[in-house]
Amino acid sequence: MSRFFRSGGDDSSSESSSDEEELYSGEEDQELDQEQSEEESDEFEQSEDESEEADDKEAGDQKQGAFRFLRDNVQSDSEGSDDEVRDKVKSAQVKRLDELETSIKQIENGQKNGDWTLISNEFDKLNRQVTKLPAGSKIPKPYIKVIAEIEESVNEALAKQKVTPKKMNATQARALNAVKQKVKKTNKDYQDQIAAYREDKDTYLWSSDEEEEEVPVAKAPKAVKFEDVAGAEELADEGFATVGKGGRTLQYTPESIFKHLRGIMETRGKKNTDRLDQIKVMEKLNEIANTPYQQIRVLLTLVSARFDLGSGTTNIMPLEHWKAAEKELSQLLTILANTPEYIVLENVEEWDDDEKPPSLQPGEKYIKVAGSIVSYIERLDDELHRSLQSIDPHTSEYIERLQDEGALYNVIFRGLLYYETLKKDETIEVPQDSVNRIIMRRLEHVYFKPAQVVKTFEENCWKAVGDNVDSTTTPRAEAQEPSELVNILCAYLYTHSEGILRARALLSQVYFLALHDDYYKARDMMLMSHLQETVTGFDIQSQILYNRTLVQVGLCAFRKGLIYDAQNTLQEICGSGRQKELLAQGVMMQRYSQVSPEQERLEKQRQLPFHMHINLELLECVYLTCSMLLEIPLLAQTGSSPDVKKRVISKTYRRMLEYHERQIFTGPPENTRDHVMQASKALAAGEWKKSISFIHSIKIWDLMPNTEEIKEMLSKQIQEEGLRTYLFTYAPFYDTLAVETLSNMFELDSTKVAAIISKMISHEELAASLDQVTNNVIFRKGVELSRLQSLALALSDKASALIETNERTLEQRTQGTSNAFERQGGRGRGGHRGGARGGRGGPRGGGNTQRQAGGTQFTGGALGAAVRG
Amino acid sequence: MEDILKALPADGASIMANVAPHLSRHLLFPLIQFEGDQAEEKGDAELAKKILSGKIKLLEDTNMTDYVATLYCDLHGVAEPPAEYTKKRQDVLTQLDKYEKETEQIANLLTQDEVVNGLRSDKVANLEFLKNQHGVTLEMVNALYDFGQFQFRCGQYGPAADMLYQFRVLSTDNDKVAAATWGKLASEILSTNWESAVDELKNVREGIDTRLFNNPRAQLDHRTMLIHWSLFPLFNFEGAREPILDMFFSASYINTIQTSCPWILRYLIAAVITGRTRARNSSVQQKQLKDIVRYVRQEAYEYADPITQFVNALYIAHDFDAAREALRLSEEVCRSDFFLAASTDAFVNAARHLICESYCKIFSRMNIRDLSAKLGLNPDDGEKWIVNLIRETRLDAKIDSQDGTVIMNHPPNNVYQQVIEKTKGGFFRTQVLNAAVSK
Repeated sequence: MSRFFRSGGDDSSSESSSDEEELYSGEEDQELDQEQSEEESDEFEQSEDESEEADDKEAGDQKQGAFRFLRDNVQSDSEGSDDEVRDKVKSAQVKRLDELETSIKQIENGQKNGDWTLISNEFDKLNRQVTKLPAGSKIPKPYIKVIAEIEESVNEALAKQKVTPKKMNATQARALNAVKQKVKKTNKDYQDQIAAYREDKDTYLWSSDEEEEEVPVAKAPKAVKFEDVAGAEELADEGFATVGKGGRTLQYTPESIFKHLRGIMETRGKKNTDRLDQIKVMEKLNEIANTPYQQIRVLLTLVSARFDLGSGTTNIMPLEHWKAAEKELSQLLTILANTPEYIVLENVEEWDDDEKPPSLQPGEKYIKVAGSIVSYIERLDDELHRSLQSIDPHTSEYIERLQDEGALYNVIFRGLLYYETLKKDETIEVPQDSVNRIIMRRLEHVYFKPAQVVKTFEENCWKAVGDNVDSTTTPRAEAQEPSELVNILCAYLYTHSEGILRARALLSQVYFLALHDDYYKARDMMLMSHLQETVTGFDIQSQILYNRTLVQVGLCAFRKGLIYDAQNTLQEICGSGRQKELLAQGVMMQRYSQVSPEQERLEKQRQLPFHMHINLELLECVYLTCSMLLEIPLLAQTGSSPDVKKRVISKTYRRMLEYHERQIFTGPPENTRDHVMQASKALAAGEWKKSISFIHSIKIWDLMPNTEEIKEMLSKQIQEEGLRTYLFTYAPFYDTLAVETLSNMFELDSTKVAAIISKMISHEELAASLDQVTNNVIFRKGVELSRLQSLALALSDKASALIETNERTLEQRTQGTSNAFERQGGRGRGGHRGGARGGRGGPRGGGNTQRQAGGTQFTGGALGAAVRG
Repeated sequence: MEDILKALPADGASIMANVAPHLSRHLLFPLIQFEGDQAEEKGDAELAKKILSGKIKLLEDTNMTDYVATLYCDLHGVAEPPAEYTKKRQDVLTQLDKYEKETEQIANLLTQDEVVNGLRSDKVANLEFLKNQHGVTLEMVNALYDFGQFQFRCGQYGPAADMLYQFRVLSTDNDKVAAATWGKLASEILSTNWESAVDELKNVREGIDTRLFNNPRAQLDHRTMLIHWSLFPLFNFEGAREPILDMFFSASYINTIQTSCPWILRYLIAAVITGRTRARNSSVQQKQLKDIVRYVRQEAYEYADPITQFVNALYIAHDFDAAREALRLSEEVCRSDFFLAASTDAFVNAARHLICESYCKIFSRMNIRDLSAKLGLNPDDGEKWIVNLIRETRLDAKIDSQDGTVIMNHPPNNVYQQVIEKTKGGFFRTQVLNAAVSK
């Protein structure tokens, strides 16, 4: 490259090379400068090496070339800066210039050979290099020359193509077109210089920069400050013009908006771009943008630039930017609502022409702008979510941040309205997916909230959009009630979406129903969805939602007084001892297995913000209380019989109870668990009053709505279970017991007592009968088994189980091969079944039937099997 | 149709409004007729009139013009029905002629022995055979279907059933065959041809399972319909009882009942309870009863009527007073229910047995007076009833007439007996195993 400069200095090489160009593309008059061209093409292969060498050889020359004025710039500021800086700057500039020269060289070679692919690639590289050049410095003249030449040769090539029938090959033709486009674009920027070049091709390169130098000199001090001292913009702002990076004056005019935007878009995602700076620029642009199209474009870019700030896995988007983004999104939505001819859609081609904004073509109704409102809204939502995750929930900051949710909800709602208006027009292809996503977002902000809160949210956002707007999916008139709203949103998703989104909608609805005490509906939906079979295949977020829903259904059952169902539902989550992890409400300390930082980070990302949490202490309290009410009578019933191990409802509870019993001294209860344990102990001893007082003194009940009702329900349950426990425990010591006495003891109505006893007798839990005349319970003698007898029973059970297993094993082994066995075996099994039925008639078998009666088990697998005994 | 339903007494005991949408017009007619008779019996003329007008509305869309015309005369007290009826009648008759002509050839063919003998089980081959040998076209086969439908609408169920049967043998159009099966089922029910109705039930059921297996919604709807339709044979034909109850208790149908029509539980309970006296296989009976109790408990939040309340009181709450009260109410309900009216007495009797049974299980000494009251009988009748019961079921019980009590003797279940029972088959089974292994 430097060689070229030199030669350019010696003779009129710029002239000649453009001539050569003609020559090669035209292939006509070959006499002119034949030798030189040949010489150059010979050197083609070596050009790279050479240019590198040239670096060293001709550093001196460069001073005379384009480098000279760059140097001047540096020198002009050298008063302030010390030598080190200068050296550094110099070397960088040298390097850049070298690259530039290499590219120019390549392009020239390409021009000679008619290799448009090469030209296209190199031209791109060249452009990139030029933009990287420190602004404020002059555009290197060789560059101007090259682009001027390229333009010419492109035109020629095109003209020639029209004339000659011979076709270029496809890749070349494509490259040519690409170059043409690019040249058109870039040359606009440098029109003046190109014109100057054309006027005086020979001397252009050598013409002094004097007249132009005035500008850089005038600006140089400012530019330097900007480069050296961070925060120079403020200084610049005080002046009249804003100075961009590198000292170029940035004139923000409505006309130049697109150019700036393009520049910003191009640097997006690259290293060392100052995002904050760009955002500042765009904020300015936004102020001056005066047509809707400009505003829309600026806002789209601005919002996404703001989101870039929070990209990466650890960064959180700064608060003020979030707020600004929220403002800008709603501004964007307002603009879109006010100017219905502009629409923003995902699947539109970008408008490339920066000079003139697109205008309405006849026959078209809309001007389409590429962009995705739903992605922006989702991103905004995610960012709020992330920021809430990272804020300590017990500070006022959290609450303040939480207030932004209202604004976010408004944006979501308006986004939905926007998509609805788009959907109204058949001609626009709105991806159904976008609408689904936005509805899902709305639902996600609603489902876990109490009706009152949702109502406030809704009122606010309806107020925000004004009176004359209505929504097609959630009409104003119908969606006023939160339950209706949830129903409508979910119904929409059921019909229009599929897969996980649909499942999530269902879970959200069930959650909402359970939260609002609609237990049966929630349970039926949950069961009918058959989600428990497929949930393991879902992504983790949805599994968490499933767990949350399950827990909420369980709590709802508890509030309804359905102890058995509540326990059964909560078992899977609470029995695991990993509630925190399963509900994404805290990271579990893992004692034995090492967690990789990656896993931990993912885990942290999944955490729910505090306001969505289900109170774990309350959950534990409910679970333990339910377990107590079921386990204590069961423990009393099974007593010391050998199969006591078989029937455990809640392992967690049993473990706690054992631990509690091992303690030598038990102090007054301190936490929830202590309370329940001591209540259990009292209940087991028949002291139901004490048990009730323990349970009632648990503070956490206050978090439940209708605390009093719940306490009352619990008292009632404890009374009944107390009676049952008492009967189980003390039956062996009585012949008869008066119903009246029992009714006094447990302060229950005597008919109620009779009913409970009847139930126990009829389920064969209690070997007794009632005497109607004297109103006594008569305990049958001889049913209490001695140890030997019960062991004998257990042994016989095991023996028959062994035979059963053997038969089954054999059956599996000989599947379909041994017919004889099938026949005989069938008879054999028949005999066995009779025996089993007889066994069930015994006093021990009775419990099973009672457990089966629930029939609404959510749990499956091992846990379910354990419950079913 | 809504008019009649509104006209019916809305005392909660009647579940007509629930049942009606799942029945066809023709199947609904007997129910309305029944309500009308009831109203007349009670002497509620106004209501009867309302029902009558409802009946006309119901049948107006059918082709039973003669009958509707008579009804109209009855209602309005005129001798001659208005001209529109005669006109319609004329239309129907011409239509009938048309259809008869269209199907004449094929109908004749199918009466000829050699043709029928030539038919195979392969439908496509049959059609081919008829086409080649006798010039039968697809249109002619379809005409059979249309004619069958027409006759059904005319109320001529017998011929309709025949037509549809013939159509089904020949047609290869699956959708139409399914529709024909439904039509045949309705025709058989309405011509009280229970045995073939039960067969058709099976066909329809198979059709639902195989044809709609990937459309759960349609499956649910069809099953709901089928459940309602099968109530007719269930309470009218002894032989239908077992298969239909089996069907109801199968997982998919009990799910259907629980999801879309919990009121069917009433009939299910009635059928199971009344069936207990025919104690042919009591273990099945016991199991069904247990299932019923479970379903009643599960559906308690959704549906309750005196009959489910009876089950609830007796088996879940063990409240005998409530059970007695519920039984009294259920009797009333049964008498005013189209399906249950005939078996009311059997039901009440069987229910008494059940009360007594669980009473005896729980109590060891009972006051006859109280017991009779619980059974809804006076003491003397009660005593007689109890004596009969003891004799029939060989309960281990004695009556102490001095104190007026029944003393039950509950023999404790001997533990040694249990061990023996459990280990009974062990040796034999091991031998079988041994033999199988050594082979």
